[in-house]
Amino acid sequence: MSILTVQNVSFSYHTVQEEVQALRNLSFSVEEGEFVGIIGPSCCGKTTVLNLLSGLFTPTEGEILLRNAPIRKSASRIGLMPQRDQLFAWRTIEKNVCLGLELLRENTPERKEYAIGLLRKYGLGDFIKKHPSELSGGMRQRAALIRTLVIQPDLLLLDEPFSALDFQTRLSVCDDVYKIIRQEKKTAILVSHDINESISLCDKIIVLSKRPATVKEEIPVEISRELTPLQKREDKRFNQYFKKIWSLLEDTNDCGTSKISKKE
Amino acid sequence: MTAEHRKFLKKNRARKIALHLSRILLLFVFIGGWELISYLEIIDPFIISSPSAVVKVIGRLYQSQQLISHVSASLWETVAGFLIATVLGTVIAVLLWFNTFLRDVLEPYLITLNSLPKIALGPIIIVWFGTGKTAIIFMSVLICIIITVIGMLSGFCNVDTEKIMLMRSLKGNKFTVMIKLVFSANIPTLLSVLKINVGLSWVGSIIGEYLSSREGLGYLIVYGSQVFQLDLVMASTVLLCFLAGGMYAVVSLLEKIIRKKFS
Repeated sequence: MSILTVQNVSFSYHTVQEEVQALRNLSFSVEEGEFVGIIGPSCCGKTTVLNLLSGLFTPTEGEILLRNAPIRKSASRIGLMPQRDQLFAWRTIEKNVCLGLELLRENTPERKEYAIGLLRKYGLGDFIKKHPSELSGGMRQRAALIRTLVIQPDLLLLDEPFSALDFQTRLSVCDDVYKIIRQEKKTAILVSHDINESISLCDKIIVLSKRPATVKEEIPVEISRELTPLQKREDKRFNQYFKKIWSLLEDTNDCGTSKISKKE
Repeated sequence: MTAEHRKFLKKNRARKIALHLSRILLLFVFIGGWELISYLEIIDPFIISSPSAVVKVIGRLYQSQQLISHVSASLWETVAGFLIATVLGTVIAVLLWFNTFLRDVLEPYLITLNSLPKIALGPIIIVWFGTGKTAIIFMSVLICIIITVIGMLSGFCNVDTEKIMLMRSLKGNKFTVMIKLVFSANIPTLLSVLKINVGLSWVGSIIGEYLSSREGLGYLIVYGSQVFQLDLVMASTVLLCFLAGGMYAVVSLLEKIIRKKFS
């Protein structure tokens, strides 16, 4: 059953110099419990897709349905995990992960207990009263994911969440995040430009064309979900997927331009 | 603890002690040198006064019960100007952060007011507010407020947009973004502004007293120079150093407490 449906979505943004079409007739769907990757060339409109999916932008045309309701009016929740952990330096880890609860006015003792339970479950029990500066990069990223999970979102949006980490930490945090999302049975969308990361994490990869972005191809990743991202990298099909996605991106690796009008 | 680490700690402690001793030594050399130059009349003591003369003048002011009234007058004007400018300037910065149109409208005026030498407005302020404390406090506020607005607003606008996006995705409105993120993230900016305002508020109140006052350290400096009592000018300047330093120390203490609470 589809949890998210993106139907013929187009989006344009305006500057004083020009109107730029970022997306054109973008359509795809995401099933409940699925981990979907969105990958595309630089400046193809990945961030625009993310802003639309998180309800911060409204499509110029088309619609986005979350559990069959328009995303901006939907009672369903979306959790966003940004590129950097964006933990607030002046808050303790406990207060950081409860930020969403405060904003949604759901800061009840039960929900707080749930948040603390998640911190303990995923190895941050000793750091509840610490500040972010006292945690390693990987721990901070885990705390950021828990902050997203605490609001019990229907859909998780991951915006290149490992890009700020060094390679070794990245591999280990990638495993952690995958494990947490699978254990909590969440539906997630990963927006990334990293092909390896997308294959190792996702059940399906949507390759976008250059701007104005549209779906170039949807590639199901048929490597067992039971394997960790690191184990998936050792699967013989991993390289085939990589080559396929790379060839699709090769045609589109420049910043496409799609100026609708230009001011004289 | 390894021997290497013990050696490092010892070296670090020695540096700290040397630093404090050097500071005290520098002060003694300055005071001693000043007294000596004056005593040996290398430079005319009438022009440069001397530390002993300064102490005598302060003692005389204290005995005649003028010291407390002059010091408290200046201190009151400065602290009032400092607090009003900081609070009002921060409130204006918050309003301008909320309303980008208003911010764009006011931007050239803020820049112009910032570049304007505020002392030029002195005569107008005296006409408007008379020659009392109100005019002096207004001068102090005027000198501090623009820099407070510009400093705070710049801090507010530099908050990471990804953090704002995160809060908006959690259904945070502009008010909660300001309270929970923008203002909290700018506590260090506020502390910097407070430190800058310590100096500026003293500039404002002393200039105000130069222009129109019957009491305060600024008044004593102007009076002393008019009747050629350089001892009085120097004594007032020394008192001013102590008061400004004390106020800076209070702000630094506040900074320590806040930083401990927020980080």
